[in-house]
Amino acid sequence: MSEQHIISAFDRDLEEIQAHIMSMGGLVEDAIRNAAKSLETRDEELAQQVRKSDKAIDELEDLINEETARLIALRAPTASDLRLVLSVLKVSGNLERIGDYAKNIAKRTTVLVETAEVSGSAVALRRMAREVRSMLHDALDAYIQRDAAKAEEVIERDEEVDQMYNGLFRELLTHMAEDPRSISACMHLHFIAKNIERMGDHVTAVAEQAIYLVTGQRPTEARPKADKTSQTI
Amino acid sequence: MKPSQPKIAAKNVQVFYGDTHAIKDVSVEIEDKTVTAFIGPSGCGKSTFLRCLNRMNDTIESCRVEGDIRLDGGDIYDKRVDPVQLRAKVGMVFQKPNPFPKSIYDNVAYGPRIHGLAKSKAELDEIVEKSLRRGAIWNEVKDRLDAPGTGLSGGQQQRLCIARAIATQPEVLLMDEPCSALDPIATAQVEELIDELRERFSVIIVTHSMQQAARVSQKTAFFHLGNLVEYGETGQIFTNPTDPRTESYITGRIG
Ligand SMILES: Nc1ncnc2c1ncn2[C@@H]1O[C@H](COP(=O)(O)OP(=O)(O)OP(=O)(O)O)[C@@H](O)[C@H]1O
Ligand SMILES: [Mg+2]
Repeated sequence: MSEQHIISAFDRDLEEIQAHIMSMGGLVEDAIRNAAKSLETRDEELAQQVRKSDKAIDELEDLINEETARLIALRAPTASDLRLVLSVLKVSGNLERIGDYAKNIAKRTTVLVETAEVSGSAVALRRMAREVRSMLHDALDAYIQRDAAKAEEVIERDEEVDQMYNGLFRELLTHMAEDPRSISACMHLHFIAKNIERMGDHVTAVAEQAIYLVTGQRPTEARPKADKTSQTI
Repeated sequence: MKPSQPKIAAKNVQVFYGDTHAIKDVSVEIEDKTVTAFIGPSGCGKSTFLRCLNRMNDTIESCRVEGDIRLDGGDIYDKRVDPVQLRAKVGMVFQKPNPFPKSIYDNVAYGPRIHGLAKSKAELDEIVEKSLRRGAIWNEVKDRLDAPGTGLSGGQQQRLCIARAIATQPEVLLMDEPCSALDPIATAQVEELIDELRERFSVIIVTHSMQQAARVSQKTAFFHLGNLVEYGETGQIFTNPTDPRTESYITGRIG
């Protein structure tokens, strides 16, 4: 809806909650980037910073919840306005979860710096994190620009992330079998990989909200599930 | 499942006031035991269309109605149909309260009396009390049933008219902005009444409150410049309307 409301304060309220979503998205993108970087460069200080900055993300989510509740109570949004408000709640929830995963990566990084490096894993995890961060960026663009086609593309890209995760899963298994001393580090690395894979799922959920916002419908096609590790022996 | 026959079926209805083309080729099927909300900007023809459904437009000199309107399959504009009998079946609450210049009691008793719905004074008393209760005004008037209806406040008069309209047990109740003069409590009571009436009757309510339409109705019809733009499930209209004009209107945008 490009048209403006007769009550201009309504437009300002809707713009404000979307601006909060964008700031939250920016913080979450930073968290992913810094978490991956701290892992790769074994930078404990940067990892600490990621853990601390999660608080700001949580606070933004609280603010968005409050303002959305207020908006619903005062303005009783309908149709595309209602969908926007509902989607804001969901997207902020997804962003908050992604932030938690980044924080968890940083936590594990502070443990991993004490262990021997597992060759190859850092590069693979960085690639995976970079892909998820770029997907998040595009999902939020699609959301704010009401671009359903772009959101569809993001959803498709999640398959790549799942495949990267599968690859890493196998690689880490091999490592652990060959060198039992690496088990502890590999377990942490595996959880990190799983965290990034879960981030991808939340990014997909954000993209789905962009589609819902535009069409009023959730994407119908079942998403291809490429994470097969739950069936791997 | 075989769709049941609509309570009211309107086909290609046109209404003119002299040269003013107020309703443009409107076709709609109103379901039985359903609350249908008519919404749309002022002057779009909601009241005009509503008045077609019980031939209230007959009373307006310049008004000409074309098309086909059926109640339970019978043409209500057929020459053999008595408009007075029709209006007992299709009752109406007007946009402006219009109590008769009679006592509160007689306002409500009038319809049941002329249609012979009560066999005794006691029975009539019972109908009057029940109707006033359902119209959410009994407590305010029970001690002055002999006072003139016109001496009530605007909101009380409106509820008296609602009590009067339901006293004859109509099959269809047409309500033209019945709550525009009511406080939130009386509004909630009238909405509760509407929900109760739906068990047996079909109710059509014109309202300018989007929230009210969303709260009380199962079907919503959006009128714009004499056209029926969109008609569908209320839930769908308020979450995902099909027509951009509906969207603009219900979300409060300039359209
Ligand atoms: N008695 C009448 N004589 C001439 N024109 C009329 C008459 N009643 C209504 N109209 C015209 O018909 C059109 C539709 O009017 P109507 O009263 O049906 O609108 P409405 O949708 O009920 O508006 P509102 O929400 O303001 O009550 C308007 O252009 C109005 O001016
Ligand atoms: Mg009107």
